[in-house]
Amino acid sequence: MKKLLKILFWIGVSGAGAGALGAIAFERGEPLNATWFIVAACGTYLVAYRFYSAFVASRVLALDSSRATPAERLDDGRDFVPTNKWVVMGHHFAAIAGPGPLLGPTLAAQFGYLPGTIWLIAGAVLGGCVQDFVILFCSIRRDGKSLGQMAREEVSQRGGMIALLAVLAIMIILLAVVALVIVNALKTSPWATFTLAMTIPIAMLMGLYMRYWRPGRVLQASAIGFALILFVVVAGQWVAESPSWARVFTLSGPALAIAIILYGYAASALPVWLLLAPRDYLSAFIKVGAVWALAAGILLVRPTIQMSALTRFADGTGPVFAGTIFPFCFITIACGAVSGFHSLIASGTTPKLITREGHARLIGYGSMLMESFVGVMAMVAACALSPGVYFAMNSPAGIVGQTAEAAAVTISSWGFPLEPQTMHHLAQQVGERTLLNRTGGAPSLAVGMAQVFSHTLGGTRLLGIWYHFALMFEALFILTVLDAGTRVGRFMVQELLAHVWKPFGRTSWYPSTLLTSALIVGAWGYFLYLGVLDPLGGINSLWPMFGIANQLLAAVALVVATTILIKMGRLRWIWVTLGPMIWVLSVTMTGSFQKIFHPNPSIGFLAYANQLAAKLAAGGLPAAKAAETARLVFNQRLNAVVVGLLAAMALILVFEALYEWFRILSKRAPVVLHEAPYVATRWAEGD
Amino acid sequence: MRSIVRGTQAVMGKAWWWLRQVSGDAAYENYLRRTRRGEATICAGPPLTREQYYLDVLRRRYTGVGRCC
Repeated sequence: MKKLLKILFWIGVSGAGAGALGAIAFERGEPLNATWFIVAACGTYLVAYRFYSAFVASRVLALDSSRATPAERLDDGRDFVPTNKWVVMGHHFAAIAGPGPLLGPTLAAQFGYLPGTIWLIAGAVLGGCVQDFVILFCSIRRDGKSLGQMAREEVSQRGGMIALLAVLAIMIILLAVVALVIVNALKTSPWATFTLAMTIPIAMLMGLYMRYWRPGRVLQASAIGFALILFVVVAGQWVAESPSWARVFTLSGPALAIAIILYGYAASALPVWLLLAPRDYLSAFIKVGAVWALAAGILLVRPTIQMSALTRFADGTGPVFAGTIFPFCFITIACGAVSGFHSLIASGTTPKLITREGHARLIGYGSMLMESFVGVMAMVAACALSPGVYFAMNSPAGIVGQTAEAAAVTISSWGFPLEPQTMHHLAQQVGERTLLNRTGGAPSLAVGMAQVFSHTLGGTRLLGIWYHFALMFEALFILTVLDAGTRVGRFMVQELLAHVWKPFGRTSWYPSTLLTSALIVGAWGYFLYLGVLDPLGGINSLWPMFGIANQLLAAVALVVATTILIKMGRLRWIWVTLGPMIWVLSVTMTGSFQKIFHPNPSIGFLAYANQLAAKLAAGGLPAAKAAETARLVFNQRLNAVVVGLLAAMALILVFEALYEWFRILSKRAPVVLHEAPYVATRWAEGD
Repeated sequence: MRSIVRGTQAVMGKAWWWLRQVSGDAAYENYLRRTRRGEATICAGPPLTREQYYLDVLRRRYTGVGRCC
């Protein structure tokens, strides 16, 4: 009887998920309600977790809970600590959930809700979750080794170096693109700029509290910090309404870019306890809280999806970013479906905390399902906006113009009706001078979130507060990524420079710290500044580059995972990682090729550089404009070189792996698996 | 009624325990408890103070990739 009920339950869940997916895919007449998205996503996740992840756990990886994990064998009370699985899952989710799954789906909504939603769900259950789970398992079996170490040991010596360089490249591009998102969200907005600026002294106050007054009292400090943050979100309105204060906090794009570059340099050199750690605590709480609040709000409000299933921009002429659905929808969504960066977390702290191998399924596969759900929420919030408003906010001035009137004419001509008054009225409601040309996805997501929240609490009266709260929540954890990323990038540069001169490798040596911080901040700052000046909005160039770098890292992780499966004698099951690997490589390689060589200047870097160079050669540009155009030409060519190098690195690793697979399968080389030897756990089942 | 109250208290207690564990608020207490029991290999020698332990946790946390995109 119990078994029959279970079977009926799973038939019900599968039916609900499949039915909702069918409704999303085939509904063309009636407007869709957000509930369909929730049911489709949750139904698929439950079935995938119950059946597919169980299959991967038992057949493909053969998880063995009688085997002692590194946390048990190497328990040192610091790095290796046996920890409750739900606590590890919380840590792991907080670590993998960044701005990517919120911004990527928002940008990809320009194709319509269908391609992005299907990829968010299918890509996660078949690709992203599998990658995170398998890499976590591999790292547990190797005493918590990093992806680079595993690539070096299991694939080739060069594999480790490629992984290190790929991580460094992705870090620089990531930091540039998230900084650009902040600049576009804050420019000429005194309310938002004041709120974010105030988070710096608030974080410092929390840092002092946790360092001197109440050491390590994270929850107390975070509660104080959260109360102060709420206060400054409200106070931001007073600042915006005061002519003298509003002038102080009204900054142009280039001025904000310089401020963020200087801030990034200062923050990376400050002690972690003073700024980075307290803001990290605060942003983690606000991030998790805001995501749950958004999910609850969507369930309560059940907003109607206003975007169509497929827009005309599936043909590659999109104003948010140019390029066809394949490969650009997949590259743009990146983290919400498959994220190469997760493999660094799954081979970092997490494997050192896991008590039993069997927990890797919940933590690796389950956390990524939650991340995908965050992406679906962001897609719903973006698609619940009027398409006209969505395109007015996310299109650069170079395409839709700088005034509401010009934007309304252009966007209406695309078939998305928009009245100039709508943009004026919305800007007024959220307390901004303008919402036009705010590329990057953060402001439109903030408007989407604010509409959901204000329907639940406060109505349109509180729309401005909710908008700035949502914007602050996004900007706060983007700043945390900026600080933490700059610091990690600095350590990587120090590791590389240590090969040239040993003292550079000493992380506590101040001259090395200052020099390497300047190098890493200079690298992302350069891309940021050029992105701000780009008339196509910068996001059009930088976000696809970030997506390519991220997916390339996923390809590296899946190559390592497939090699390990072959060495383990699981040839029969390698399609589990080989399938996503081939897909991710196809996407990355097609995307790289198009971004470099596509003849359309809004897609191909070289075509854009040539177009600008021809304009320059024709003469007639004022001196300042000519210098700026020359810089843009150089930058487009540099972008092409960077993308080319990333693709070349991935190909080298793939060919090395293919050669290794050939040698193993043809028995020309012995199988050497670098697993830690089996040791039986001392703990009884259920410990 | 009493069982509902007791059940709610138990759930809230578990949620609070989880929050303290995940946030790191309970990290020092866990460390001290394990030190006293001699569970971890580093537990030889006098235990760190709360402040020393907090700084040690931060130093190790921010030397590697700990936050994703």
